[in-house]
Amino acid sequence: MIRKASCCRFTSEGIFVNGEKRFTLNHFEEELTEVYRQLSVEYPKFYKMDLMSKVSFLGVELLKGVDSELALHREDEEVGLLFANSESSSQTDLRFEESYTRDGLPSPSLFVYTLPNIAMGEIAIRNKWYGAHMFSVFPNFAAAYFADYGRLMLKDGAKRVVGGWVDVREQPDAAFFVLDSSLLENREEALQVLNQVYSNH
Amino acid sequence: MASAALKEQLKKQIIEQLNLEEVKVEDIEDSAPLFGEGGAGLDSIDALELIVLLEKHYQLNVTNPEEGKQVFYSIDTMADYIEKHKA
Repeated sequence: MIRKASCCRFTSEGIFVNGEKRFTLNHFEEELTEVYRQLSVEYPKFYKMDLMSKVSFLGVELLKGVDSELALHREDEEVGLLFANSESSSQTDLRFEESYTRDGLPSPSLFVYTLPNIAMGEIAIRNKWYGAHMFSVFPNFAAAYFADYGRLMLKDGAKRVVGGWVDVREQPDAAFFVLDSSLLENREEALQVLNQVYSNH
Repeated sequence: MASAALKEQLKKQIIEQLNLEEVKVEDIEDSAPLFGEGGAGLDSIDALELIVLLEKHYQLNVTNPEEGKQVFYSIDTMADYIEKHKA
């Protein structure tokens, strides 16, 4: 029997958690604030985050809602973060460029998000997850990256690894999932599960 | 003493510039510290945004860090600085 991974998927159709549709997204960017409010999370810094960080923040909060072990991991180094996308931080890079070409003054709060790994930093700060983290850029979703580097993180002390694929520039295309040793012990099976997470809702 | 109208305008500009979506004008006390606990809880990036705000809306440049600590202490101190330095 093929294992399943706890997962959360953002597409142009909506937000799906473990395959079930939780939110419909018609105007993606504006509706993320409403999703945040519906989750009843008190974290005002959410409003200041860039789009990639907001999607990552909400994805992990939704994952915690269906993965009790992940929600319990707090203030330790046993949760690793392994993220990737195809566009780095270009959505925010362009906004930052606009801020100084339009107003003549660069925005410091946009500047701090002009690196893609800041999204992982926001999650680490929020959850006090101080384990290893890594961000890479690939043309497409790369299951082998998550399987292989996930195994390295688990070998190096992590008990669980939160994986994330976060493209936000055109349409939302994001997937968040929990990797553990039982999922990653068989590489071929792990690749199959990860590809299912990405291709299915 | 700076005018109440200037202080209210400043609060609106801060809320907009710093994306303080859950904060209302009336939540910010004129004399309360803007940074740290017991006040608006702004951070170091917000401090940079306040410098940009003064330059953008009031054409004022705060370049001395020591002066910045005093200027950005509260709405009162910011408004007094604007009144004192406006053309």
